Amino acid sequence: MGRLSPSFRSAIFSNELIRKPPAVSPESPKPPSPKPSHFPNKKSSKTFRKTKDAGTPQTSTSSAATIFNSPDLSSAKKLITSFAATNASAAQLDTRYHNSLLQSYSAISDVRDTTSLLHHMIKTFPSFSPNRSTYHILLSQACKQQDANVSSVYHALNLMVQNGIQPNQATVDVVVRSICSAGRLDEAVELVKELSLKKSPPDQFTYNFLIKNLCKSRSLSTVYGFVDEMRNFDIKPDLVTYTILIDNVCNSKNLREATRLIGVLNDCGFKPDCYVYNTIMKGYCSLSKGSEAIGVYNKMKEEGVEPDLVTYNTLIFGLSKSGRVSEAKKFLQIMATMGHFPDAVTYTSLMNGMCREKDALGALALLEEMEVRGCLPNSCTYNTLLHGLCKLRLLEKGIQLYGVMKEADMKLETASYATFVRALCREGRVAEAYGVFDYAVESKSLTDVAAYSTLESTLKWLKKAREQGLAV
Amino acid sequence: MLPQRMKKAFTDNPRKVANLIDLVNLPSTLRTFVGQSQISRLGCFMHVWSYIKTNNLQDPNNKNVVNCDEKLKSILLGKPQVELVELPALIKLHFPKEPK
Repeated sequence: MGRLSPSFRSAIFSNELIRKPPAVSPESPKPPSPKPSHFPNKKSSKTFRKTKDAGTPQTSTSSAATIFNSPDLSSAKKLITSFAATNASAAQLDTRYHNSLLQSYSAISDVRDTTSLLHHMIKTFPSFSPNRSTYHILLSQACKQQDANVSSVYHALNLMVQNGIQPNQATVDVVVRSICSAGRLDEAVELVKELSLKKSPPDQFTYNFLIKNLCKSRSLSTVYGFVDEMRNFDIKPDLVTYTILIDNVCNSKNLREATRLIGVLNDCGFKPDCYVYNTIMKGYCSLSKGSEAIGVYNKMKEEGVEPDLVTYNTLIFGLSKSGRVSEAKKFLQIMATMGHFPDAVTYTSLMNGMCREKDALGALALLEEMEVRGCLPNSCTYNTLLHGLCKLRLLEKGIQLYGVMKEADMKLETASYATFVRALCREGRVAEAYGVFDYAVESKSLTDVAAYSTLESTLKWLKKAREQGLAV
Repeated sequence: MLPQRMKKAFTDNPRKVANLIDLVNLPSTLRTFVGQSQISRLGCFMHVWSYIKTNNLQDPNNKNVVNCDEKLKSILLGKPQVELVELPALIKLHFPKEPK
């Protein structure tokens, strides 16, 4: 019960910078996958805000969605020639049209073929003059190429410069995001440094994106090293950067570093905003430090920062987790008076806390209350309750709840599944436990291995208990 | 009782997982029942359990007990009745630990 439930993770923001190429073939390079944000707040909307920059590929893919069905270059060239012939009269075709043609071909081919096709297009369409977006298509493809090295990226960049288009911040952004989405973080860092030397430094959004990715997989010293290096190019961490860093150290439970970072942040003249406070609060909550979390809340009040829904949810989660349910309930009232409606996350945290305090029936009552108030419980809510009920030996209620979950096709979580199976076996209802196992496998809640191993070990335990005369 | 921790320990242990999902050459009795020459322990359990379900072999009065038919008897030590509790253990008998 101790871990952060999935419903705490905020919605997934898709990275729209590079438009999804039409799904022409299965081997098409993947568009940057949506990054699930692990912030409890909406920070990522800030980080990814730069989606409609001037230079991003604007493609109207509808017209070219299914034009190319083979990566073969010569047939693609023929197709282009025939297009040029049929559209000869309507010569005033938009560059966007050409770009979308190129984009759809790039989705199924490799970068060398795309480059050749681009040259071919320039020859066959007299009205077509490649713009920034055109080269960005090439660049993003070059960055995503699995086997290729950085040279193909440089090649695309050179082509761009030769045609009189200097890389700008959007270019850097396209390159960085594409390389990162291909999982080649170190190359992204190298490229950014090199581009910065060539007078096209990343903007704050690209910089923060890179920092965030570095935080995920590299050591803290690497991240700090990068931050220091970028100071040479006059790119300094901003409030968002600090929030990312604080979140990172909080996730690794390094609160001393977090406190230091807050000091640095103040020294740099930044005033912590709601997101920073939420992140710190989450750090304390994940360590079950309820008093410190309340301390953060009070500090927010002092500094005149308005707490938002996430603040209250984090606080209620933390207090419930550290066994201070009555205080958590008080905050439920406070948030209502502040005009924030408790959502499924709020109620689920509270139920979690109540179940810990052996008040599963109270938690069940809360389920009714939330439904009356028009807040829909999610699968996490039900799993929390099922877990709590089974742990407190209220098996009948648990079975009822399981019925509801089954009807709604909800997935079981590992912990609630295991507790439920054990509770059933403890009562000697082995056949029903087999039924739950079947449901877990059918609904793909767990892997077959996980579901079976739980069942097997529970049955082994039951057999032993029976031999010792401890169970029915 | 810490099911979560227990669970984690299990799926984290590659050898135990391999023990469950690795294909094993079957002895002849099991081969005729399963209809394949190779199966994993997990697959075998699933096969037996679905066989029980499709043939309605669970005792109508006590669902926890399986009344074996001839085919099932042949692989479950010839017992006329088997409790569901012991099913995984009985199947495990066909999958002896390989000597290192």
